[in-house]
Amino acid sequence: MERINAKVKCIRRPWHLPDSALTPEAHCYRRREFLRVFGFGVAASAILPVTSRAASAGFPDTLNPGYKLEGIKLTPEDLVTSYNNFYEWGTGKGEPKEQANRSWKTAPRTLEISGLCANPRKIDIDQLVSLVGGIERRNYRHRCVEAWSMVIPWDGFPLAKLIDLAQTKSEANYVKFVSFFDPTNCPAQRTNELLWPYTEALTLAEASNELAFLATGLYGKSLRNQNGAPIRLVVPWKYGFKSAKSLVKIEFVAEQPKTTWSEMAPGEYGFYANVNPNVDHPRWSQKSERVIGGGFFSGKQPTMIFNGYEKQVAHLYAGMDLRKNF
Amino acid sequence: MKILTRIAGSRLAALSLIVGGGIYTLVIPVFAGTLGANPLEALLHRSGEIAIWTLGAVLSLTPLRVLFPGAQIVAALNRHRRAIGVSACVYGLLHVTAHVLYEGGWDGLLRSLSKPFIWYGLAGLSILVALTATSNQFSIRKLGGRNWKGLHRLAYIAAALLIYHQAIAGKGHWHITRWLLFPLAALQAARIAKTLLAKPARVPATNQSPKRVARKTITSGFSADTSMTAMKNTQQEII
Repeated sequence: MERINAKVKCIRRPWHLPDSALTPEAHCYRRREFLRVFGFGVAASAILPVTSRAASAGFPDTLNPGYKLEGIKLTPEDLVTSYNNFYEWGTGKGEPKEQANRSWKTAPRTLEISGLCANPRKIDIDQLVSLVGGIERRNYRHRCVEAWSMVIPWDGFPLAKLIDLAQTKSEANYVKFVSFFDPTNCPAQRTNELLWPYTEALTLAEASNELAFLATGLYGKSLRNQNGAPIRLVVPWKYGFKSAKSLVKIEFVAEQPKTTWSEMAPGEYGFYANVNPNVDHPRWSQKSERVIGGGFFSGKQPTMIFNGYEKQVAHLYAGMDLRKNF
Repeated sequence: MKILTRIAGSRLAALSLIVGGGIYTLVIPVFAGTLGANPLEALLHRSGEIAIWTLGAVLSLTPLRVLFPGAQIVAALNRHRRAIGVSACVYGLLHVTAHVLYEGGWDGLLRSLSKPFIWYGLAGLSILVALTATSNQFSIRKLGGRNWKGLHRLAYIAAALLIYHQAIAGKGHWHITRWLLFPLAALQAARIAKTLLAKPARVPATNQSPKRVARKTITSGFSADTSMTAMKNTQQEII
């Protein structure tokens, strides 16, 4: 019996390989990455110039070491590009990926800079990128008001650089961000579901903060339509809805502008919308958040004040009652 | 039409639709991994939507029966009142389970209980649980027709609470509420109008034996299963 077993063990199948011949797991995954970057890149370069209107200047960029978020896991790219709140393209999280990639050719490639500034202009986004000195990569936490979160590597430039370029007048107190309006290609904009175009705003001090960012890409590629191509705001210490997508206009104004969600439901979404575990949403607690990409039983993680950016932004709200100004 | 009525009245067809719908939208996607980036949120929303629609379906059966007493298909659908009502409750309980998993721990769960939003849902579901527990012949006999019917009229309070819970869940969006509440309200209004208008003609009906009245009343509750008798009664009444 013993001998038979020994013999069975020794039979070498034609497909047998020594362990040393196996490709390390990490390389297997790298292979896919290689194919994605080079394979699709080559294929895309043949098609994209005709159909895509995403901003493409400045890639590849490099990570700004000040915004590395050491030791924090990035949310996988396929989740960042398939789980989106972009009500122009439907209220379901999966809908924007599907709906925004049909006939819509994204917002125009030009961005209008207007209002109380010395240099108002309409500018091509790629041209704007070269004017501000190119783009950089920043890993930012992203906390949605619905109590879920991601960590996203954005590509873009600080909003402060655009403000410098515009040279704001002394009467300017707020910066207003206006998203695209294209009811022909965007059926939801033919209804009054939301106040179109989607409008957001920051105080000039908030907008000038080092963290306020204009993204033209993520994961080293031009923004996908569902993520707000060709250019969007990213303000990581505020709930996600403040980071308006697919911008067509940035305007400097004196009075606090009306913003979409704070007009729709003023009791639920305030103008400031700073991430704050101590101020609940009327329907749910903001103390913790579900990290996208975790499994069924992963639980939630505690939410940090200002989404972990207290050091950079807390001074903006010194003396302010954050419960009132939520 | 006859075959349609047959299918509508078939217990097997009804059960496959009620259970199969759940398996198709909740169970298979879990194992196929097609729930997206936030699977628990997807389960939470899907189970809640199925529950509220199922409740809407069962609440439309009585008005339909009153409005179309002669329609065989309505009578056939009314055979499933109990099954549909009970499954609304079961999907509601699945929804609560998804909520417990979504909160992911005692802390979160307890915090969620501080929100009125959650309590509208829990209160509505508690009523459904009570109605499910008494959705059997034994309870009807034990409670007596009048009491049982009174109890099962709480279904309307449950519906009000749950539809409100659903409406405020939608971030100011009334998609489901719109398609659920308005038709349901219209059906109920038409039913009440018809009953009120029919009243003067019912003068001779006062001679009806109390037993028969009781039997009829039972059938208009949450999940009574004697709709065929009810249909006969209603027809007699109108004749």
